[in-house]
Amino acid sequence: MNPNEVENGQIDWTRREFLRGASFGTLMMLMGGVPLEAQQTNAPAGDAPTTYHTYGPPVSLGLVGCGAWGKEILQTLALLPNAPVVAICDTYPAALRKVKDAAPKAETFDDYKKLLASPKVEAVIVATPSHLHREVVEAALAAGKHVYCEAPLASTHEDALEIARAAKAAVKLNFQSGLQVRSDPQKHWLVKFIRGGAVGKTVMARSQWHKKTSWRRPAANPEREAALNWRLNSKTSGGLLGEIGIHQLDLMRWYLNGRPTSVAGFGGIVNYADGRDVADTLQTVLEFANGVNLSFDCTLASSFDSDYDMIYGTDSSVMMRGNKAWMFKENDAPLVGWEVYARKDLFYNETGIALVADASKQKAMLNKATAAEASFAESPLHYALVSFVKNSHLTATQVEDFMSSGGELADLPTFLAKEAGSRGPAAGYQEGFEATALALKANEAVIKGQKINLPKDLFQI
Amino acid sequence: MSFTNTTSSFGARFLTLAALAGGLGFAVESGAADAVRYTTKFGSKVSIAGTSSIHAWTMDGQIIQGFFEVPAGVVLDPAQANLAGVTDGKLNAKVETMIPVRSLKSTHSGMDEVMQQAMNAETHPKIQFSLTEMVLKGPHAAGTPLQFDTKGDLVVNGITNKISIPVSIEAADKGKLKVVGMVPLKMTDFKVKPPAPAVGLGLITTGDEVKISFEWLIALAAPAK
Repeated sequence: MNPNEVENGQIDWTRREFLRGASFGTLMMLMGGVPLEAQQTNAPAGDAPTTYHTYGPPVSLGLVGCGAWGKEILQTLALLPNAPVVAICDTYPAALRKVKDAAPKAETFDDYKKLLASPKVEAVIVATPSHLHREVVEAALAAGKHVYCEAPLASTHEDALEIARAAKAAVKLNFQSGLQVRSDPQKHWLVKFIRGGAVGKTVMARSQWHKKTSWRRPAANPEREAALNWRLNSKTSGGLLGEIGIHQLDLMRWYLNGRPTSVAGFGGIVNYADGRDVADTLQTVLEFANGVNLSFDCTLASSFDSDYDMIYGTDSSVMMRGNKAWMFKENDAPLVGWEVYARKDLFYNETGIALVADASKQKAMLNKATAAEASFAESPLHYALVSFVKNSHLTATQVEDFMSSGGELADLPTFLAKEAGSRGPAAGYQEGFEATALALKANEAVIKGQKINLPKDLFQI
Repeated sequence: MSFTNTTSSFGARFLTLAALAGGLGFAVESGAADAVRYTTKFGSKVSIAGTSSIHAWTMDGQIIQGFFEVPAGVVLDPAQANLAGVTDGKLNAKVETMIPVRSLKSTHSGMDEVMQQAMNAETHPKIQFSLTEMVLKGPHAAGTPLQFDTKGDLVVNGITNKISIPVSIEAADKGKLKVVGMVPLKMTDFKVKPPAPAVGLGLITTGDEVKISFEWLIALAAPAK
């Protein structure tokens, strides 16, 4: 398989297009923090200024599941200064061999139980097929390891619920769901922008994910072929919505700031009648409060216009595409001011005002050369893993300090909640569970071709 | 350096550490026999407030480790007019406290890591305070906080300085006591370089002076079983 082919379509825009431009310094300044170095004026003569870094101590990681996405994770971790991968595990020897280059120092295992038994492993990333998450996650938490569980949490509601319950009960451990977009600083900036009233009254939302790919992976023999193509089998897969749509459905749910009350779905196999029983093309509509609906269409049979998310408002509409975003203003919308200085791009016959986190007048004047670049140049997976390492270390040290200062276990959740502000942005078990429950219901609606109501208790852990 | 040399030097260091630990253990045991010990409880607060040329900043923590020991017979009760067991206002207390540097959190992303490096947290992970003197400030009115002038050794970044802190002790819920104080310090006195932003073109500076304030929640230690 071509190693550059991205499996779930969530990150393929990053490396190719957006690695230009913005420095780490710019990034940190935009996040409210700034890279710091020792003040030179107070330093004794001849004492060179000290340069500080903004990442924390290392956390030793183990990866379970070394498929194409596992490899992507390893390659992303390899660029972090504090994320040594000490163990990798896959039941298929060839898969381990294929990723070994990305983690040359890691010990290899053919059984996740052996990996979990290694005292060197402090935190585990679970990137097995979704229907195999539960067993690994529960065992990892029981072994006292912090856990990053890829999205969706599971391929059934029951498994997702049990994972979320186990994560909730493990108060001393950090659990992160693989909803990587929730860690993306650009998306956090945009959510404030949209909720701040810039779009006026939100009237509807629309998302799409279009790609021309069979989703079928080639294998050496029929047995391996079946195991590798678990996504094409409805018994093991949440389908396109469960495996891919979950990220966009979750993003829009976050932006619309509420839970949907119903989901309707339509779809089928229109192009790949190769024995699969999972739809390759589908549409779904989610009903939110106040008559605001989200429509989402997803296909493996056409790549036209790729993937993006739209929020439509009475004053303006916002388009999010990769790590860029644009605002399209109505003629009767009030002038905000800064948009005069912002970069404009043309889409069909609409003018998009580029929404860049640092698109202020001062910033534009100071740094015209880079103002046009995306402010946050890394992939969402990068930010998600940065948060996972940071939060795992934080949780471990917070628990240690708390217990050594007379703290009692019953007070630990309160203590940790007060410290939440110092954590890196990340989706926890609650977000992971809600997104999984929603995506699986949407998938069910597509299979049944029906509208399904979503009661509140569907999202309760 | 030969392998044997390395081993023996490690061995010698280990022995020193073991002896030190044994000595400490003895000191604590002997002190406990004729003293009443209060230990730390959840709900403590510590805050370091500083300035910079663009905005004020704070780092907050919830962790204060250690103990507060008074001679048997002394009753720390702010509700009483007299502090039983104290003569000439001098309280013969023993206080050892520690604050893990890593437990101090700022509201700005990336600042915690920078502060930990500026304070060399890896080699000096804790801010430590040992009390050397504790004197009751004037007459005490029943029902008001007990007021003391205290002196002690403060260790930050491995550097020890003698400091004076006015401290009050007030009653908190469930029989707990709240020890409250504030002390202004200069970072450079502890050889901590005030961090300055690298992107500020030298225009953004961090003030040398900081104020450390704390609310330390303590309660009588449960008797040994």
